[in-house]
Amino acid sequence: MIKNYFRPKTIDELSELKYKTNGYLFSGGTDLFVKLRAGIIDTDTVIDTKYLDTKGIEIKDKKLFIPINATYNELRYFIKENKLNNILEDIVKTIGSPMIRNRGTPVGNISNASPAGDFVLASYLFNAQILIEPSSKKIPIKDFIKSPGQINLEQNEFVYGIELELLTDYKFYFEKVGRRNAMIISIASIGILIKEEDNKINDIRIAFGSVAPTILRDENLEKTLIGKTIDEELFKYLANEYQKLSSPITDVRATKEYRKSLVHNLVIKAYNNLFEKVVR
Amino acid sequence: MKINVTINNEKKELEIAPDEVLLDVLRRYGYHSVRRGCDTGMCGICTILLDGRPVPSCSIFAARVDGHEITTVEGLPEAKDFAKLLAEEGADQCGFCSPGLIVNTVYLKKLKIKKMEEIQIKLIGNLCRCTGYVGQHRAIEKFLGVEK
Repeated sequence: MIKNYFRPKTIDELSELKYKTNGYLFSGGTDLFVKLRAGIIDTDTVIDTKYLDTKGIEIKDKKLFIPINATYNELRYFIKENKLNNILEDIVKTIGSPMIRNRGTPVGNISNASPAGDFVLASYLFNAQILIEPSSKKIPIKDFIKSPGQINLEQNEFVYGIELELLTDYKFYFEKVGRRNAMIISIASIGILIKEEDNKINDIRIAFGSVAPTILRDENLEKTLIGKTIDEELFKYLANEYQKLSSPITDVRATKEYRKSLVHNLVIKAYNNLFEKVVR
Repeated sequence: MKINVTINNEKKELEIAPDEVLLDVLRRYGYHSVRRGCDTGMCGICTILLDGRPVPSCSIFAARVDGHEITTVEGLPEAKDFAKLLAEEGADQCGFCSPGLIVNTVYLKKLKIKKMEEIQIKLIGNLCRCTGYVGQHRAIEKFLGVEK
């Protein structure tokens, strides 16, 4: 039962309130309300973050900075205006519905740390750094998210923003498998970024959602791929490797066996789509 | 606690509890076009315009909208025209989802969107469990003047 509603205006004020009350932060509310009603969250205090003075989305030191309270729609508009990171637009437009995108926020998505979070997947692909206040530290996304719903944060700390790399000259593929077209939480998802040079891999990033306790990305495996020729054999190898690396669970959306097959098939499908091939 | 809002161009001072949801407050003050559907932001039935943009009123604390502008079906003059078209095309069966759809479609009219493909994407968050959408699409085509 909620008894207190706070509207802090500064970072210190917010931090102190969070420390003293252990209340929940409310930015877009699209996730908070679901959890409050389902009884997953039981709190007497809500801290509204909207009154915090932030600058808005910007390009800073050649990186895309998304602050707390910026919504998916604001982000989409910014991406279109500045013509950057097209795959990000591809991912963001599949999140929720237009109404949800007017409320929901990327910072909220990564703070919830769901392995199915679409923006979490995007954050892994773009080597996101998470800016935490009031300590002003920056942590890479893979160190920030510990396990489903668990993040690396002290009680007085909160996520102030996300910094994403700006990438050009990358081919990209994103697909989310779900049960309908809108409002889906993925059964499995894949995001691939490839930079090629003479049909060889110059840089590659592969991430999967909903097939492990956190987003699945293996940078060591990615490093071994640099310089390799892009062909059917390579992608069949990757399909098998990532299938082995994945550790999905059975839940209301799908079984673990189905998810394992999806990991394999999504890699092959990505290859077919990226390089106009027909491999089964 | 008290909040000041503009609802359908009328300035109002509302008495609310800290944990009250916008949807409940609007209904309590007589804006009955705003209806509770799924209560998780999935179905689009409780859609209102907040500062001119469609949002799910089930997922916003009333305390958040202090100083903001809200529009419901009651405050949209075009709503009647569209409702008439929905009736003509047999797009209302139980009619429960209509207010959310009307708010969103009137919003699309303001954006001057006229391509059916785009309209369908924009209305993806408005569920209807009766009609199968065909009747709704006919009404929407007429209302928005869809180019064929």
